[in-house]
Amino acid sequence: MKQAKHITTVQVAAIMTSTIIGVGVLPIPLFAVRGAGSGAPLVTLLGAAVAFVGLFLITRLGMRFPDQSIVQYGEVVIGKWLSWIGSIGVIGFFAILTSLTAREFGEVVITSVLTKTPLEVTVIVMLLLAAISTRNDITTFAYIHLFYFPLLLGPALLIVALSLKNADLINLQPLWGNTHKGMLTNVLTIASLFQGSFIITSIIPAMREPRKAMTASVFGLVIAGGMYVTIVAATVGVFGSEETKNLLWPTLELAKATSLPANVLERLDAAFLAVWVTAVFTTLFSSYYLAVKELSKLFRLQDHKLFSFFLLPAVFSMAMVPYNILHMYETIQNVGRIGLFVTIAYPGLLLVVAILRKKRGEPSEKRSAG
Amino acid sequence: MFLFGKRKRRPSSGGVEERTWRPAERLNEAAVNGDLERVVDQIREVLGENDDFTIRRFQVFGRYPAAMFFYPNMIDMTSLNSEILKPLMYGPPHAERLPEKGDELWDFILETTLYHSDVRSETLVAKVVSDVLRGQTAVVIEGVEKALLFGTRTIDKRSIDQPATEQVIRGPREGFIELLSTNISLIRYRLQTPDLRVKTMEIGRRSQSKVAICYMQGITNPELVEEITRRLELIDVDAILDSGYLEQYIEDNQMSPFPQVQYTERPDKVVANLLEGRVALIVDGSPLALVVPTVFSQFYQTVEDYTERFLMMSAIRWARLIALVFSLVFPSLYVAIISFNPELIPTEFAVAVAGGRAGVPFPAIVEVLVIEISMEVLREATIRLPQQVGGALSIVGVLVVGQAAVAAGFASPITVVIIALTTIGSFATPAYNAALALRLLRFPLIVLAGIFGLYGVMIGLILIANHLLSLKSFGVPYLSPLVPGSAKGMKDLFLRGPFWWMSTRPDFLYPSDKTRISERTVEELKEPPNNVMEPANMEKTGKGGGA
Amino acid sequence: MKSGLRVKKALLSAFAASFILLLTGCWDRLEIEERAVVLGISVDTAPPGAAKREGEISHTAEGFPVPDVHMIRVSVQIALPGKIPLGPGESGGGGKGSEQTVWVVGAEGHTVDDAIMNLQQQISGKLFFGHLRVIVVSEDIARRGMQNINDYFHRNPEVRRMAWMMICKGKAEKLMNAAPELERVPALYLMSTMDNAVKLGKFPENYVGMYWSNSAKQGQEGYLPYVELKKHQNIEVSGVAYFKDDKLEGMTKPFQVAAYMSIMGMNPAGYRGVVKIGGASDSVMVYATSRRSTIKVRMQDGEPIVNVSIFTEVNLEEKINDQITIKDSASLIQIEEQNKKSLQKETKALILEMQEKGADIFGFGEYVRAKKPGYWNARIGSKSKWQRAFKELRIEVEVDSKIRRIGMKAK
Repeated sequence: MKQAKHITTVQVAAIMTSTIIGVGVLPIPLFAVRGAGSGAPLVTLLGAAVAFVGLFLITRLGMRFPDQSIVQYGEVVIGKWLSWIGSIGVIGFFAILTSLTAREFGEVVITSVLTKTPLEVTVIVMLLLAAISTRNDITTFAYIHLFYFPLLLGPALLIVALSLKNADLINLQPLWGNTHKGMLTNVLTIASLFQGSFIITSIIPAMREPRKAMTASVFGLVIAGGMYVTIVAATVGVFGSEETKNLLWPTLELAKATSLPANVLERLDAAFLAVWVTAVFTTLFSSYYLAVKELSKLFRLQDHKLFSFFLLPAVFSMAMVPYNILHMYETIQNVGRIGLFVTIAYPGLLLVVAILRKKRGEPSEKRSAG
Repeated sequence: MFLFGKRKRRPSSGGVEERTWRPAERLNEAAVNGDLERVVDQIREVLGENDDFTIRRFQVFGRYPAAMFFYPNMIDMTSLNSEILKPLMYGPPHAERLPEKGDELWDFILETTLYHSDVRSETLVAKVVSDVLRGQTAVVIEGVEKALLFGTRTIDKRSIDQPATEQVIRGPREGFIELLSTNISLIRYRLQTPDLRVKTMEIGRRSQSKVAICYMQGITNPELVEEITRRLELIDVDAILDSGYLEQYIEDNQMSPFPQVQYTERPDKVVANLLEGRVALIVDGSPLALVVPTVFSQFYQTVEDYTERFLMMSAIRWARLIALVFSLVFPSLYVAIISFNPELIPTEFAVAVAGGRAGVPFPAIVEVLVIEISMEVLREATIRLPQQVGGALSIVGVLVVGQAAVAAGFASPITVVIIALTTIGSFATPAYNAALALRLLRFPLIVLAGIFGLYGVMIGLILIANHLLSLKSFGVPYLSPLVPGSAKGMKDLFLRGPFWWMSTRPDFLYPSDKTRISERTVEELKEPPNNVMEPANMEKTGKGGGA
Repeated sequence: MKSGLRVKKALLSAFAASFILLLTGCWDRLEIEERAVVLGISVDTAPPGAAKREGEISHTAEGFPVPDVHMIRVSVQIALPGKIPLGPGESGGGGKGSEQTVWVVGAEGHTVDDAIMNLQQQISGKLFFGHLRVIVVSEDIARRGMQNINDYFHRNPEVRRMAWMMICKGKAEKLMNAAPELERVPALYLMSTMDNAVKLGKFPENYVGMYWSNSAKQGQEGYLPYVELKKHQNIEVSGVAYFKDDKLEGMTKPFQVAAYMSIMGMNPAGYRGVVKIGGASDSVMVYATSRRSTIKVRMQDGEPIVNVSIFTEVNLEEKINDQITIKDSASLIQIEEQNKKSLQKETKALILEMQEKGADIFGFGEYVRAKKPGYWNARIGSKSKWQRAFKELRIEVEVDSKIRRIGMKAK
């Protein structure tokens, strides 16, 4: 299959942002205040910084092997069998991430809007939506992300802007928070919300200029991180850290506490949730795409469409594993922190070995540009 | 909803040659060889069954037997009689001597005798037959190894009218008619440049419809022209009766509800598109030209956007966009809010809406679907009805039925308002085919809204958006220039920027020549205006004379 | 043919999809007119003997596990869909009295949810709280503790944070049954009373969400409007009901709302004040137009001192008699001085009262927490400790006031 190479830097940044921003935006203020009370924005920032380490490693690797993704250069760097384990880990992790994201959003929808609809239905609808979309090629993948990008930032920024008049700076002081119990775990939890950035490994081979991958991923992370920090700051600013701790989805509650000027819409939570479907979709889409695409590369298949529906039952049944909403959040946090090994340690290992063994991919200019 | 497939292009295969001669396949390679009777027999064998086919035998200069073949209904008899038949029978009075057989006779006829300018020679009988079918007149002379073919075709045509579906307040008032040659002339007089290229080909085994491919040499990307020609050559069908047939053979995805080819009956629109680097296809017998490649934004742009002032037209374009979105999502949003999330609307209004709905026995989704469907029925009926009755019926339909439905407790007044707004909104979209697509997609959205509320509406919209994003028209992403983002393209997307903003042609069409407005003009427009007639100037220099 | 197969496939999946949709139906679809749209809720103590009358709906008669909680009575005001006319023109149902536009029903129970379940048992439509605008809690319930009420409304996804919660003198249910003449829907009248009070500067903007946020904070206590039903079915905002943790601690006088808003620097300002200049009869009425306040915390001898400096801009609105003339700016300065003094007295009094009760509705504790985190972390660190520390807190109040305009009369 001739790899089409025409994804632009802007598109990559959009992909990064919209992949990172997902359902995690709903509970993130809760995670952040659990870390350090009024220092929540700082916790978020630290989480983003940790996430950046992983992103930096994977992007460096990608630029070193501009025509391959992690599954392919893994074989080159550490040999077939070891890389198999790593690749299976990556694919499995992203399959789990997909299922947990779908489950989490399903839970949000069930709790707040469609209280009588079976959870299975909302989850399967989201998964189907992602699965159908993964049948597209990578160019359409990039287009889809670029298209939804404004839909992601717009509503969230609107809610932040509308809620600013109720915000109180006192709630955000002191900046470093009063207590720091459990700060590290929550920083890691927040870092794990950024794991979607791993998608860059699948995109670099299709980039027009892989050299600019680093710029793109930094931009993506900065926008997503900035957005998270803004939302956390707005939520804590409006509610105060103690009230935020009382709320399962503080961001949704923030939407509930704001109304459009002139009372066009009296409360924005259901509308926000509806628009937020796109954000969740892009995240799901990316992680599912990553799993499907890398799986097909692992088996050296030309076409990844086969796996789109093949993976679906497995992903769906994984989504049904957590038996209640609190267990689900415990699972999400645990899986996320374990996932940091997959998304930071494994690429780190690969990069070190690649540098030591002086392995490097053939320069991309050899291939004809699409 | 999620079943839009993507058609794979068939691999190109040869087998194009021969095809054009098919009606006369029986003639094989028969040539006009000077034996008049044989040729007459051959032609009669193919065409003679038709009662409207005429073979007129006569003697050229009263000496050489000849035969004339034509369809009398398709030709201009007067000119045939006076310009062709008469000189051929009489011979030129100034001729000193009449020529002998063969080439000499041929040259003499051509150079001295005929008063008709459009004369060709043809040796293959099959070709002669196909030309006669197209309205030409053939003359075969005993002893001459070529047939004479005269362009005598006159087909009755209607006059050039105002375009019925694309009316403008400001802009040209001409629309295409059915005749290809007239349509080409309408384009050519707007583009008096040798760069306008018109290539014609015949498509349709039986209809032999002429299709003209128009493009601008030096602007249009040559690869695009090549691909269009290739796709056209692959079409091997019975008949192309309208450009709509052609559209379905060349578009990328037939399963999509969205049109990927734009049609227009306005020559000025075609010319504007040609100048942007697109290719126009005109089919003989169809008053609608096709323009490819097409992107979604074309469907809400109109000619007037460019003839009027840009600020006003940008605002109006927004109104059109809102109407477009309205016609797609309004009813489903209504269903979702009424049946799932009534907490979104202001309390006073919610209570009032509940009051309006109190007597209605159906759930909102059924109510909306029923009214929507009856609206579609009404609309369809209005199109079919003769014009004189149409207006009356729509008044009866909309006003009386709507009012009665509310009074009978069959629908709530708000539903009627919503549906009316939606319907009007769908008429604000300039392109009928795009409006049709959105009209159709409204229904699955309503159903989804009835199942999942706002969540369902969003799922539906995501499916539609993803489909749009995966669509391509000749490789051009359907949502260009929005996706993949092009800052330059945005100037003519949601806004209609002033002309000097758009000094280059749209880059998603990869035109060979990018500049549209020369830099000097752009610079000049930015200069402060030269106030020639300013009173201060005029009076000081004493030029302001007057009286 | 390939395309034929595709069409078949498409048709098949469309058929399957529609079949699934038909089978599943619409779980959550509930038409707006099928919902019992609750506009207001009142929570009262139940009259004695309620436990015996209660039907065995959410639990058996003896089985309720929270014996020490007294029975409560919850009344809801439900909008009657047919009775509230659509649009402003038709005055069919709205003309006389609002008794017809809403329906007030109540039920008793051990907890809010229990009572609402008992109520739901008696009502056909599903109680829908998405448009709940007013929650009225009676004074004695509030004194007993709001935990249960807060928890229920906080947990319910339908309830808005922008609803008004208020404490009511006497029976709260009376407010539900009140039929003010101005508005078609009584609950909406209650709501607009509060909203307009905010616009006129009579009460700080304090939706239920803000009350929750404030009560949750470690260095602050929540407060709610205190309302009273008057003779003409109208509602008077008669002070701030302040809380300590979740228990009602007391109520202020209406004029103290002005003092509270001055301390917090809340705008718009709306209260009038009388300023005595010389003797008892030489008084003028002034009207605050805008307030500003800065709250600063400084440490002295290891203890925090809170400094509140208030600045108000006032207009002169009325003179009692003609003995004082206002003809130059000097005469205004005199009034300003008096105004400052009285404002200082009032604010000091309010702060002292709150300190006595240990209810920091000003959120001085939050300022300490935010500005002096070292002290807070070492010495306070929890809400109960701050409640104690607040009683001992040194608070300085500085007041500045300027008269800007005197209306259309020249002297």
